[in-house]
Amino acid sequence: MRTWFAAAVPTRRIAVLRTVVYLFVIVDVLRIGNDPLAHGDVPADLYRPILLRSVLHLPAPTHGYVRVLLGVLVVSALVAATGRLPRLAGWVCLLAVLDWMSNNYSYSKIDHDQFALVLALAVLPTAGPARWRDGDDVRSEAAGWAVRMVQVGVVCCYLLSAVSKMRFGGWGWANGAIFTWAFTRRGTALTDLLLSVPGLVHLMQWVVLVAEFCSPLLLAVRGRLLWAGLAFFATFHLMTYLTIRIHFLPLVVCLTAFLPLERLVPRRLIAGAPTARRQAAPAQAAAS
Amino acid sequence: MSVPTGSTRTASGPLSRAALAWRVAVTLGVVGLAVNGSVRGNDVQWPFAPMSQFAFGVDLEGQIRSTYVEADTTAGTTVRVPLTAGGVGLGRAEVEGQLPRFVADPALLESIAVAAARRHPEWPRYTRLRLRQEVSDLRGGEVVSTHTERLADWTVLDPAGLR
Repeated sequence: MRTWFAAAVPTRRIAVLRTVVYLFVIVDVLRIGNDPLAHGDVPADLYRPILLRSVLHLPAPTHGYVRVLLGVLVVSALVAATGRLPRLAGWVCLLAVLDWMSNNYSYSKIDHDQFALVLALAVLPTAGPARWRDGDDVRSEAAGWAVRMVQVGVVCCYLLSAVSKMRFGGWGWANGAIFTWAFTRRGTALTDLLLSVPGLVHLMQWVVLVAEFCSPLLLAVRGRLLWAGLAFFATFHLMTYLTIRIHFLPLVVCLTAFLPLERLVPRRLIAGAPTARRQAAPAQAAAS
Repeated sequence: MSVPTGSTRTASGPLSRAALAWRVAVTLGVVGLAVNGSVRGNDVQWPFAPMSQFAFGVDLEGQIRSTYVEADTTAGTTVRVPLTAGGVGLGRAEVEGQLPRFVADPALLESIAVAAARRHPEWPRYTRLRLRQEVSDLRGGEVVSTHTERLADWTVLDPAGLR
């Protein structure tokens, strides 16, 4: 059980993942989930708070409120991206993002592309200290669990998308006209081309559905099969962006949790490199 | 045993039983809530809401509806209201999510005029708003014809005083 839930991984992987995720969060709130800023100007009679906001007694967003929140969010994300104060900055960032995203979804439109990212923000503070310069032998099970949770979040997004399709669209979903629906509402020159090929959108619907149902395999396979699976989903996201301008970038960023991110750090930056230190660090305090 | 030179810190040791136990519990809890959300939950439970984008069925012989809002302005022009974050601050899908409310109470369209005035003071004010849907009819999954349906109209009470 320990090896599946919390296999020790190099802490350097968490350090890189934190930098990637927290820097992306800033891009996300400014460029992608940026409705909350605009919602500050929308009269409150169109505000339909989701459960999270009601439970936490968060107020209807106003012009000033969303701007202060954005400041807190960006500063905490920048600090967390450096790896400093991983718990304090990480928790503040999580709370700010929950406020931001719940605002985003309190006007009667929910997206599910943020689930894995929010989950990543919830687990990264638990992974303890991690630095870009940590050597290969500095490993941690707490870090391993955080990485595993982000992976689980990604798979939840794919698998539960397929489950929802069966729930709302029925078993005939893939034989329906959902892609034609999306292409007609958000068309580009490319969608017109795809629609002109007989049977193509029908086939694409089946490919997407089967891939989503098979996504738990990402948690089981390794090596080339894993790379192939990741490449498939990355291509899928690229295609949805090129066709209907929907990119699911927050989910794509979380796909990086499947990668050996520690290899991105140049050897010269790593303490003790190039010759790997043979002696493992003493294992004393059990992490909480 | 000495700490290797060049090391600024040490990795944590193996997780204690308690530390591992709460992590396993959290994992199962999160997965359980997420599954519950998609199997029988609804949107207000976000982040544990159904992963339902593009999940509904579209009948090959059915219809595709695109909602839009058109407005007359104080400048005497008629414009398509930009239902985006950068436009009036409310997206098309958000208007569609509250469509029954707009239809039952067209006065809600006033809020769109207010949001436009707040976000773009330089724009001519909206004087009259028309909520419409472009309906595309499908035959065998292909669009064969389109027409427009009228959902709601609203005349802004005091266009110059919008804020």
